[in-house]
Amino acid sequence: MRTAVRKIPLYAVLIVLVALWLLPVASSFLVSFKSSEDFLSQTWAQLPTRFFFFQNLANVLKNYRLQNNLASSLLYSSVSTVVVIICASMAGYSIVRLRPRFNFLLFLVIYSGTLFPFQMYLIPVYRLFNTLNLYDTRVGMILVYSAICIPFSLFVYRGFYTTIPREIEEAAKLDGCGPVRSFFSVFLPQSLPPTAVVALFQATWIWNDLLFGMVLSRQEQIRPIMVAVATMTGYGGGNISWVMTAVIFTSIPTILLFIGLRRFFIQGMVLNVSA
Amino acid sequence: MTVLLVIPMFQNVYYSFFNWNGLSAPVFAGVKNYVTMFTDRVITRSMINTALWVAFTLVLPASGGLLVAVFVTGVRGAGFFKSIFFIPLTISFVATGVIWTYMLSKQLGVLNGVLAYLGIPLQPSWLTSVPLNTFAMIFAWTWQQLGTNMVMFLMGLGTIPRDPIEACLLDGANAWQTFVHVKLPMLAPITTVVITMAMVNSFKVFDIIYVMTRGGPYSSSETLAVSMFRETFTLFHLGYGAAISVILSVIVIVVSAAYIRRMTKRDLLYY
Repeated sequence: MRTAVRKIPLYAVLIVLVALWLLPVASSFLVSFKSSEDFLSQTWAQLPTRFFFFQNLANVLKNYRLQNNLASSLLYSSVSTVVVIICASMAGYSIVRLRPRFNFLLFLVIYSGTLFPFQMYLIPVYRLFNTLNLYDTRVGMILVYSAICIPFSLFVYRGFYTTIPREIEEAAKLDGCGPVRSFFSVFLPQSLPPTAVVALFQATWIWNDLLFGMVLSRQEQIRPIMVAVATMTGYGGGNISWVMTAVIFTSIPTILLFIGLRRFFIQGMVLNVSA
Repeated sequence: MTVLLVIPMFQNVYYSFFNWNGLSAPVFAGVKNYVTMFTDRVITRSMINTALWVAFTLVLPASGGLLVAVFVTGVRGAGFFKSIFFIPLTISFVATGVIWTYMLSKQLGVLNGVLAYLGIPLQPSWLTSVPLNTFAMIFAWTWQQLGTNMVMFLMGLGTIPRDPIEACLLDGANAWQTFVHVKLPMLAPITTVVITMAMVNSFKVFDIIYVMTRGGPYSSSETLAVSMFRETFTLFHLGYGAAISVILSVIVIVVSAAYIRRMTKRDLLYY
C-alpha cells in the first residue's frame, strides 16, 4: 500500500507527459478533418461541423500534385534500398572475412555517413552532379540516397557477420566453396534480420529526407515528397488544414511500416544511436 | 560510394579557402572565409543558437529520456506509456515541424488556446520572438527525440543486475540513493553514447528549423546547419558555405572524439 501511494507522483508526471505527447497528435488529426472555414471560425478543441479529410486530400492532390512526389519518393526509397542492401551486404562480408588492408579508409567511410554533418558533402556533390548532368534527375537522386545510406547499412551488416562463427565458413571452404560461393550460400541465407533492419530504416530515412531533395532537385516531378510538403508551408504556415492533411497522408507509409515491423525498427534505432 | 562521400569531404575543405559564387572561377581567399565568420553578426547569432540547441538537447531529450525510462520501469502499464513516446518517432522531421508550427502559431495555435483556457493572459508569439523561437523548436525536437533516448536507457537499465540494487535496498537506501549510487554509474557506457549522439544530432538539426521558421525572422533562429544552407544555396556564397560546414564538422568531431576513440578501439578487436 505504501509503495502504491509513493508512486502517485510518478504517475502524475507520466500522465502530464503523455498528455503533452498526445496533444499534438490529436489536434493535428482534428485540424486535418476540418474545412478551412471550420478551421478559421472554430477554436482548436471544437469538433468539425463536417468531416472534411477526404475533400482536403482531394484539394491537396489537385493543387499541389503530390502524387508526382509520392511516386518519386516511392521510387527512390525502394530502388535505393535494394542497391544499398546489395552493396552493403557484400561490402560487409568482404570486410569481415577477407580482411582487406584499408582500415583507415573504412573508418572514414563509416563515420562519414553516420557522424559527420551532411552539410559537408552538399557543395561538392552539388557541383559534381551539375558537371555530370545528374542534377535534377531520378538517377542522381537514387545514387545520392544509396551512397548516404551505405555507411550505416555497412555497419549493420558488418556487426551481424562478425557474429557468424568462423568454423561454418571454414567448413564451407573445406567443401570447396570460394569466397563468392560462401557468401551466397552460407552468409546470405542467414542475413534476414540485418536486411530487415536496413531495409526498414533506410527506406524510412529516404522517404523522410528533406535536405538532399531540396539541394539536388528542382523540378516538381523529381522532388521527393518531404520537400513538397515543406514547400507547402509558407512563412505563416500556409493553409494549415491542407498542410496537415498532406502531413498525415504522407506519413501513413512510415507509420504502417513502423507498426508492422516494430521489433526491427527498434533494433535499427538502437544500432543507429550506437553506430 | 567513396566517390560520392569521401572525396567530396576533402573537396569541401579545399573549396572553403576560396571566394566563389558557383558560376565564375573561384578566387583564392586564404582563410578569409573563416575570419569573416567570426565577425559576421548573422553567423555569430547562429553560433549562439547552435550552442543553445546543444546545451538544451542535453537537458531535455537526453536527461528527459533517462527520467522517463526510469519512471516507466517503475509503474504498471509500462507498455502503454512507452508506445506513447514512440509515436513521434514514426513521422518525419518535416511532419514534426508542421505539427508544431500549428501548435505554436500565435492566433490559431493549440498552445495559446490552452493558455487562454487556463486563464493565463500570456499569448506569446512563439516562433517570431528571439530567443523564444529557438526554445520552442528545441521543445518540438524533444517531442520527437525523447523516445529514442528512452529506448537506449531502457536497454541500459535492463542490463543492470538485480543483486546490487537489492543489496542496496537491504542496507536501507531509498530509491533515490539507489538510483544515484548504483544505477547511474552502471549506466555510464550508455549515457556516453546517448549524450554524444544527442549532441551530434543537435548540431545537424535542419529540417525542423527550416520548416518552422526558415531560420527567421531575419536569420535570428538559424543554427550553423541552416546558415550553411542559406549562404550556399540561396546566396550562392559557395566558399563561405563550405567554410561554415567545415567548422561545423570540426566541432562535431571534437565533441565526439572520446566516443570515436572508444569505438575504434572496439573495432580493432575485430581485426
